[in-house]
Formats: sequence, C-alpha cells, structure tokens
Amino acid sequence: MRVLLHTGKGGVGKTTLALATALVAAEHGHRVCVLSTDPAHSLADALGQPVGPDMKQMTDRVWAREIRAQTELDRAWMPVQAWLRELLREDADTLVAEELLAFPGIEELMALRAVREVEASGEFDTCVVDCAPTGSTMRMLRFPDALRIFMNHFFEIERRSARVLRPLVRGLGGGGIVPEEEFFTAFERLYEEVDDVSRLLLDHERTSARLVVNPTRVVVDETRRSFAYLSLYGVATDAVLVNRVLPDVAAEGYFARWRAREQEELASIERSFPVPIRRVSLQAREVQGVDSIAALGRDLFGDVDPAAKLHDGRPLRIRRAGGRTRLEIDLPGISKEEVDVLVKGADLHLRVRDGRRSLQLPDSLVGREIERVRLRAPTLEISFADG
Amino acid sequence: MRLLLYTGKGGVGKTTTAAATAAHAARRGLRVLVVSSDAAHSLGDVLDQPLGPTPRSVAAGLDACEVDARHEIERHWGRVREYVVSLLRHQGIAEVVAEELALLPGADELATLVCVEEHAASGRYDLIVVDCAPTGSTLRLVSLPEVAHGGMRWLLRLQRAASYIAEPIARGLVGAPIPKAEVFAEADRLFFKTLRALRDRLLSEQTSVRIVVTPESMVIDEARRALTDLALFELRTDAVVMNRVLPEAALAESFFRDWGPAQDARREEVATAFAPLPILESPLAEDEIRGTSALADHGAALFGTRDPAARLGEGAGLCFGREGEGGWLRVPMIGRSAADLDVARIDDELVIGIAGRRRRIALPSGLASLEVERVAMEDASLVVSFAPDAAAPA
Repeated sequence: MRVLLHTGKGGVGKTTLALATALVAAEHGHRVCVLSTDPAHSLADALGQPVGPDMKQMTDRVWAREIRAQTELDRAWMPVQAWLRELLREDADTLVAEELLAFPGIEELMALRAVREVEASGEFDTCVVDCAPTGSTMRMLRFPDALRIFMNHFFEIERRSARVLRPLVRGLGGGGIVPEEEFFTAFERLYEEVDDVSRLLLDHERTSARLVVNPTRVVVDETRRSFAYLSLYGVATDAVLVNRVLPDVAAEGYFARWRAREQEELASIERSFPVPIRRVSLQAREVQGVDSIAALGRDLFGDVDPAAKLHDGRPLRIRRAGGRTRLEIDLPGISKEEVDVLVKGADLHLRVRDGRRSLQLPDSLVGREIERVRLRAPTLEISFADG
Repeated sequence: MRLLLYTGKGGVGKTTTAAATAAHAARRGLRVLVVSSDAAHSLGDVLDQPLGPTPRSVAAGLDACEVDARHEIERHWGRVREYVVSLLRHQGIAEVVAEELALLPGADELATLVCVEEHAASGRYDLIVVDCAPTGSTLRLVSLPEVAHGGMRWLLRLQRAASYIAEPIARGLVGAPIPKAEVFAEADRLFFKTLRALRDRLLSEQTSVRIVVTPESMVIDEARRALTDLALFELRTDAVVMNRVLPEAALAESFFRDWGPAQDARREEVATAFAPLPILESPLAEDEIRGTSALADHGAALFGTRDPAARLGEGAGLCFGREGEGGWLRVPMIGRSAADLDVARIDDELVIGIAGRRRRIALPSGLASLEVERVAMEDASLVVSFAPDAAAPA
C-alpha cells in the first residue's frame, strides 16, 4: 500500500489537494482511503457531505474517514480507560473520554493506529492522509521515537513498581490505584502497533510526504523548515504542490504587482526544494464538492498517476567517496547554527532547530570520529574520519 | 492586565492579526508582549526579526517571544528533570536523551501556559497577545488547566502517597531511584499553582478570545465549531476578525466576478453565525505585511476608532453544562418569547429559528450524542435540556 502524507502550513489547501490526489488516483484505477488526522477536520466541509469516524464510501473507489481520538479511544483502549476510571473514581464525577483526550500524545497515537488499520484491512492500495498543520504533524511523526524512549526506559520500571506496589496498596485498602498487569499488556500491544506504522512511514517505497504551499513568503519559509523536519525524521518528500497560483488571466490590473511578487516566490520554491514541483491555479470560484475537486486534481497531475512515487530521493543518504564516508541529509531553509551533531556510542544525535532525532549508525561508522560538518544548501554533510 | 488569544483555522492570518494588534496597542502607549505558541512559529517571520523564548524588544513598548517547550521545561521543571535524568542515568542512558522528554506531546501547550502566566503575573505588561496554534491545539491548550486540576492532581497525589509508603521497599526491589518530596513540590507548583492561576485568568473578564476567519466556507465552518467549543470551556469571545476580504477593485477584475456574490454570502453568514459579536474586516493586502511599523498601520486600519485592548463585544453567552447522564444548553434571548422560537436538532447541530432567522449551533461532542428532552424559556434565556437516548441500549 502507498501512503501519501499531505502537510503544510495551515490554510494552504491541504485538505482540498489531498482529496484531489485521492480522486485522481481513483481515476487511475486505485482503491483509495482518505484519512483525516487533523483534529479540526475539514474533509466534510470540502466535500460538502458528511464524513464520520467510520469508513464511508464517497465515490466508486474512494472511501473517507475522520480520526476522532475520542471515538478511537472508546474502541481501542478499554483497559487503559477502565484503569483510569477506577483510579479517578473518588475525585472525578466520571472520567469522560473527553478528559483523556487532553492527556499528552493521545491524538497522535490514534492517528498512527488508524493508518495501520487501513493497511491491515488489505482493502486499499493507496492511503491518502490529510494531516494536521505542520506543528502537530511533526509531533505525530516523532511520537514513535518518544514512545520508544518511554518504553525502553520507563515502562519496565513502572511495570516492576506496579508488581511490587499492587499487593501492598491493596493491603492498605487502596485497591485500584496501581494498574493491573492487563494495563501493561495493552500498552505493549499499542507499542508494537506504533512500531509497525513507524516502519511503514519510514519506508520510502511505500510512504511519501507531499508538502502543500501557496506562493507567499511566510508560507514558503515555514514549508522549507517542514521539509527539513521530515528529512530529519526520515520521511521522504516526493513532491511540493503549489496551490492558488494566480492564473494569467487574473494577473492584470489590480493583481499585476501581486503577480510580480508571486513570480519571485515561485522561483524561490523551485530553488529551495530538491523534488518535483507541481502547480495548480487559483480557481474562479470556491472549490467544494467531488466534481470541482477532481477537476482541480486533473489540472494538478495531468496524466501523472498521483499514487506513484514522484521522486526517487532519500532524505538521509550515506555516500562513500575517495575512501571517506559521508552522511547527507537535505535541510532546506536551515542555517548551520541551527544544527547540532553529536555522536555517542553507536548513536548519532541530530538536532535541527527544535527537532531532534537519534539515529543508529551503521556498524561501519561506529567508533569513527566526525571529521567535518558542512552545510551546502540544502544538504548537510557529515563526514566521518577514516576507520 | 489584558490577555487576548487569537485563534482560527490555519492560514487565516492569525499571526499577522495578533502582531498587528500588539504593534498598534504599543503605539497607543501600552506595554505589550506578543507571544507565539504555535510550535511551527511564524511570528519571527512576520515581525521580520529573529525571536527566542525570552521576550525581546522589537519596537517601543513592544516585546515579542516564541515559546520553546524545551527551554521552559528546563527553567521551570528543573528538579523533575533532574530526577528523570537521574532515573535515566541509573538505566545507563545519556543525558542527551533526557532532552527528548521535552518533546513529548503536550509539552508545547504546557510550556505556553506556564510562559503566559509568568509574564502575566510579572506586572511588566498591560497587554499580552497570544498567537495560538490552529483551532485544534488551542482547545487542547485551554482544556489543559482543567485536566491538571482533575486528573493530574490525582495522579501526583497517588504517586506521592505510593512513594512514601513504598520507598524503602521499592528501592530494594525495583532498583530505581524514587522521586524525592521536592520533585513533587515542584510538580505541585507547576501544575496547581501556576496552572490554576492561569485557569482563573483565562476565565476572568481580563481575557478575551478573538476568532480570525476569511470569507471561505471551510474556514467559517471551523470557526463556528470553535466558538461553541470555546463557550464550553467558558472562554469569552469578544470579536471576530475577517481577513482577506477582496476589495472592490479586485472584484472588478473579470476573473473574480464569481467571487463577489460568494463573498457577500460569506459575510452575511459570519454576521449571523457570530451575532452579536462585532466583525472587524480587513482587506486582502497587496503586500505581505512584515515589520512592526507596517503591522501597527495594519492594526490601526483594522480597529479604526476602537481600542484594540478593550473588550470589543459580548458573546451571545452560550453556555453548556452536564447533569448526570444528560446536559443542557442555555442561550440568552432577551426580548423573545417561546412562541417566536423554533428549535430543531439536525445531526450534530442545534438549529434555533428566531422570527424567521436561524442560528445554527454546533453541539459539543458530549451533547451531540444525546436527545433533546425539553425546550423552555427561563430568565430570558432559551434552555434546551438533553437526555440520553431512551431507545439506545444503555
């Protein structure tokens, strides 16, 4: 199954272009599932028909579903909920799933699980994800990493503590405040699920990110950073989709100056991103409903199958040249001061602005010193000394 | 001290509007701080100056900062962090990994709250303007103090009790350091004192939310839901800002001829949906507005004779409540009798018809699954009671 993640700054038209991609992919014969993981869903607003937490058929070959963390929680996380309910019994009236939603990470978790469910169903060959705006999406992508750290370092401690405390607390008449073993089992299952999705998202053959932009400077600035974060988290971006380009017929009179500025931004987009750029014009009326969204999609993709991999690049590459080994990562819009590289044991810790990732070094590089870190825009090159 | 939160769907111009409000208010002589809480910050891009987690002066009377979760956690949660690091070290983990903790989801919202409350309490500002993350995260932001008040308090109390009882035993058996009392004291201060203070501040009359929209259906649909959800958390919305209104000159271009009627329809929709809140309109700007001076001009044009820091309007005072398995909704309706009203439930919305005009209210998820039980006028308010669906299995 191909997974196409659509993200970008808020309001650029992610939902519309995600749907356009799905509808055109269907015309190329794919069976497509569209998932919205933005807690502020707009699939229904864009399609002009209701979409809910259950898979709903929208056209011949396109299904859609909104991931509502609350509904997912009700369905999937009963043991955890049961325990929390028990725990909070004395103080809270009732613990409603709504309150659980405010617990950190729940929304990201439910979004990741949903992608896995679509794959596990075996019913679709393309899954188009309409992601939340940049900030939340990056949080979703780094969630598996955070969870891995939690599982490796805290989980066993908690579990052992619980085993010790349970009989003790029960003896003191405080039953229910230490989680049952079942809770930990549920957590472990969850972790395996997230690990599965994480493998899917990091597989460049199966998953591609598409960044949606408008030709304005603030949007382009932010999108460059998103591209860098995606590279950092190991997700391959295979295209940048430029939405709302002023069409030639509109570029006169009132909009003439606008047009000039837009041309500069378009040129800067072409320069900034090492992937194919596809454009689509601002439409003469609001784009809403299946027909007008599909028409927009045909404008955007022409004869190209939108489910295909549009660019064959890797966000992280290892190159050997002249006996040296170099790790390369594409980080558009990032200056050298915003990057921090540190090797500890077999791990390479990379920090890019406020994003961080720990990478396991290949055996051949373990124990070698970093000789030089150089930024040749947009690529960061980390050269290792000879072994 | 006034606190203004700007929210709305992504891309509607929240950052520009928040920064323009702040710059304009500063020019009018207030001491102003503008804070960006969106993890994908663009406040620095709009002000055209690099910003960090500590407020820096960007113009006379105007400071700005971008919240950085990692920075805030290091500053405010040192002991807890030390404990976590000691726990990790105990497990043979490098310190660098501990930093990842700051990246756990939820940390951004928490950091924003702590940061805002600290500056609000400092007495250094007359006005703080917060550029919030898009709607979804903002709601999580405003609900967080509530959760801290309930769930977290319990969890911490529990953990504290457990550590007193079990510390000697656990130290032997579990083989991990148990948090010391100071760790809890710090968590206490953070969660209960700071967050409670902030919760009180958010609910007071000093705080107003402003919803930013553009004349597009998808944006307005989301804003209507946000208005209801904000009301659910008892936040007061005092105005709606409509950005990117196409001016006459633009509508005269032939390509845009269909946009004119559509835009008028959206304006009408916004006026009805958000009545009686004032709607402030700002035209689609020819240039991207960057820099404090251009922003202050933009603010002056947007607010006209209004004081940008004042409470600009009173919301309809929608309120929701839960009662056992059911719930209720109260809408002030001064000067109306029950005979004027027509109430119907359509999907997740409650449609209230008043003398031929209809108001659609998006129901919060807690009420949307319930049935309308009773509709009545009480104390000049429409009260709709909800009960669990009798036909549904319990």
